[in-house]
Amino acid sequence: MAEKNKQDGGESAHHHGAGRYFLIWAALLVFTLTTVITGRMDLGSANLPLAMIIATVKATLVVLFFMHLWDSEGINRLVFCVALVFVLVLLAGVFGDLLTRMPDALPTGRHAHTLEGGDLPTVPAMNPHAD
Amino acid sequence: MSSSDAAAHGHGGHGDEHASNPHLAHHFDSMATQDHASRLGMWLFLGTEVLLFAGLFLGYSVYRHFYHDTFRFASHTLNLTMGTINTIVLISSSFTVAMAHHMVKKGNNKAAAGLLVFTIICALAFLCIKAFEYQHKFAEGALPGKWFTFEEMKGMPGANMFFTIYFLTTGLHAFHVIVGMTILVWVLKKVVKGQVDADYNIPVELGGLYWHLVDLVWIFLFPLLYLI
Repeated sequence: MAEKNKQDGGESAHHHGAGRYFLIWAALLVFTLTTVITGRMDLGSANLPLAMIIATVKATLVVLFFMHLWDSEGINRLVFCVALVFVLVLLAGVFGDLLTRMPDALPTGRHAHTLEGGDLPTVPAMNPHAD
Repeated sequence: MSSSDAAAHGHGGHGDEHASNPHLAHHFDSMATQDHASRLGMWLFLGTEVLLFAGLFLGYSVYRHFYHDTFRFASHTLNLTMGTINTIVLISSSFTVAMAHHMVKKGNNKAAAGLLVFTIICALAFLCIKAFEYQHKFAEGALPGKWFTFEEMKGMPGANMFFTIYFLTTGLHAFHVIVGMTILVWVLKKVVKGQVDADYNIPVELGGLYWHLVDLVWIFLFPLLYLI
């Protein structure tokens, strides 16, 4: 195990071409412009998922290539993925509660939702994209 | 605890690398093991940072769920141009800090120093733009809780919650920008003094990782607050 880790450590110390960084940077800028343009278009209930998908793709690029999780030691990938899993547990627990409450147990003045509506703005924060 | 002491005391089999490498701490076998441990420690810390921000993202999700129309309306009262410029500034600074690490690994500390200076200027620019936005919100009264006096959204349910979450998330993020900037100044000092080089550059790498996390959080904050 220790030997293997040492080898991994050695590998991740290798160079990556600056070209890769330029490419990721360009991609991030393109995605930013895309999300700004589509964010101001009226796509109805598709606006939120689309913005979240673009953000997740951007975050994945940053994590994998700027932060080198792509070719980092496996244990680092595990640590980050575990953090993401706990984010999902947090969101699932809280929304599991909120979405199954009786209406009287929710704050007054809230906007009407249909409980079965597929366009609920749930879990916008993070997805386990890195695994 | 200097590693040269360790080498002087003669630690058997692995004395060689300790003698030749002043960066290698006494309790590590080799530089590879030490770098591995440093990197793992940083990722563990970044994992806790993700969870810290996850709490705020959760708060956003819950209140957006309750007051989705208000949140959609409120997001359009933010200055999209400034938000977009700040996104580009942060993404570009993330790129230059990655390039700075690349340059140090190539032994080009001069180029790395230039890239780090640019990154730090980006951090300052981000904070300045953010300050202008905050100033505007203060003038409008688009503020959290009982300080909320924003005419444009008067009487909308959950309106002050949007701005509570806006100031909490962007405030905590701005604090991270300040911390990240401080770390980058420390890294820059090491680069200029030649304390990091092609063989030993873990401070540049880990400082960069922290800066990428700041970028990462903003990548999600930007669309949630400004766009949708």
